[in-house]
Amino acid sequence: MEIIESIETPTREIVTPGMVISTDPELIPGRGAIREKNNEIISLFVGLKEIRGKYINVVPLNGLYNPQLGDKIIGRIIAKTPVKYLLNINSKYLGILKPLDAFKRNTRNRGYGKSVGTYRVKDDDLMQKLKMGDLLICKVLSGDRLNEPELTSLGQDLGQIKDGIIIHVPPPKIPRIIGKKGSMITLLKNLLHCKVFVAQNGRILIQGGKKFKHERLLIDAIHKIEKEAHTSGLTDRIKNYIIKEKKKRGIE
Amino acid sequence: MPVLVPEPHDPVCFRKDGKRLDGRDVDEPRPFSCEVGVIKNAQGSSVVRHGGNLICCAVYGPREVHPRHLAKPDRGILRVYYRMATFSVHDRKSPAPNRRDNEISKVIREAIEPVLFLEAYPDSQIEVFIQIMAADGGTRCASTTAASLALADAGIPMRSMIVGIAAGKAQDKVILDLGDKEDKVGQADVPAVVVMKDKTISLLQFDGEMSIEEMKLGFKYILKGAEVIYQKQLEALKGKYEAIQLQAQKESEEYQKMVPKLTQEKPLPPSDTVVSEKIGEIKVNNDEEVQKPTKELKKEHKKETKKGTKKPTKKDIKKETKKVTKKKTEEIAQKINGTIENDPKKENDKGAKSK
Repeated sequence: MEIIESIETPTREIVTPGMVISTDPELIPGRGAIREKNNEIISLFVGLKEIRGKYINVVPLNGLYNPQLGDKIIGRIIAKTPVKYLLNINSKYLGILKPLDAFKRNTRNRGYGKSVGTYRVKDDDLMQKLKMGDLLICKVLSGDRLNEPELTSLGQDLGQIKDGIIIHVPPPKIPRIIGKKGSMITLLKNLLHCKVFVAQNGRILIQGGKKFKHERLLIDAIHKIEKEAHTSGLTDRIKNYIIKEKKKRGIE
Repeated sequence: MPVLVPEPHDPVCFRKDGKRLDGRDVDEPRPFSCEVGVIKNAQGSSVVRHGGNLICCAVYGPREVHPRHLAKPDRGILRVYYRMATFSVHDRKSPAPNRRDNEISKVIREAIEPVLFLEAYPDSQIEVFIQIMAADGGTRCASTTAASLALADAGIPMRSMIVGIAAGKAQDKVILDLGDKEDKVGQADVPAVVVMKDKTISLLQFDGEMSIEEMKLGFKYILKGAEVIYQKQLEALKGKYEAIQLQAQKESEEYQKMVPKLTQEKPLPPSDTVVSEKIGEIKVNNDEEVQKPTKELKKEHKKETKKGTKKPTKKDIKKETKKVTKKKTEEIAQKINGTIENDPKKENDKGAKSK
């Protein structure tokens, strides 16, 4: 397989649906590709052709979010039933948040210096804690193709969002905003002094900028990354862009 | 005697030089252009100009089905809405969908369905909205090409792109891609949709009279015209991203000129093989020296870095001050006593206390 690795080119080729990517019988069609007659492997998306080992993939440039186990996502409450919240998670299904996955069950002190001990809070009380339109950072507990994904908002970094700006990018471009080993996101954080949370479903939360100008520039930079996600040498260009724009806009 | 009503259109479709009225050859399609990603709110969208037709298409989904009872548990459903604008034709068209609109919606849906993987989206739907802004004959063909472009732009998996184009017959001649007048005056009309991967046909309608040989000639023309339009489709889909790639390359080149020091690579040291060749008999093995970072080494490195980065606490400062004082006292004691014979620590301590 050494030969195949050497074929990889730095600028990846753009392919379209139905295009024959390869006729090599040893290659296995991976993501976004299928094998047809005469060992022809064809692509299913408009995307970038990529060969990794013995697998040939097509990385799509646009698409929907598919919930997968353990993903951290941002959702908005759009409906309530007596026993669960329903969240819009930018997928084809609604996310389900049960109240006992949303709030802590622990010992409570009623006050007056006396602890009452553990008791289970009723669902009715917990269903009134969150309102319609509230935004939450959640984690996917179960995700498959047939059932609606169940969520939880208990854990590190999870919970209700109370301030900040949320922007939206296509979910396939999220890996580019994070960068290789988080290089891009650390660059953005260091240069613009903001808190950034990137959710897997294409929503990005921006908080706590020093000034409003910083947040404004950060949003522009993220949209630039989104636009040029399929190009190479992106981190250098974004660094250059931010330094130039800082001078232009008079930001320190 | 029945009254003879004059024909609304002149039946002549050809010039004296043998070309068609708009100057085309028999097997030449109308000018075609398309664009992708036009509507911001849609997941995928396209605009197609095919002759006098101007068609706008938007795709949403896969998403939930409303009403719920239409959903199928084993596969997704495709819904196509073909609508003509009131100003798209000479007479005002009623904005309400009529029989013709519903029929063409169904026909286009059945032409697209074999290309999609609907079984991958159970309990959900994909919606395709097609709006005719200007009509000039062959709208159903042009709208299938627009729909396939929009679906590809939306990132929905497809087996192949599809292209719609019509053949026909006018004044006893087989022609390709009929205009509005040729459609109304001509003897036959064969709209078809071609699946471009394996050149199969997913929609075929026929209206009029044609012999089998004429039909075969018509199919030849259809495949030829479809190939021309397919190339334009690919250009539009790739062009959206390739233009950005070129611009990005220019920017990165500028950046490299701006910062030459960072981009320049340091010259590599001469490798071991070169040394052995020069010396001849002596072979240098640096295998022992160049150790790969094992887990233990990494741990040690971490510890060192942690120690270095830690902020000094009050205890540490006290320890350091004690060490410094000890050293100083030793030096002073050496100066005074010369060499120290027995129990240097005690003597030093005494000296320090006395001072």
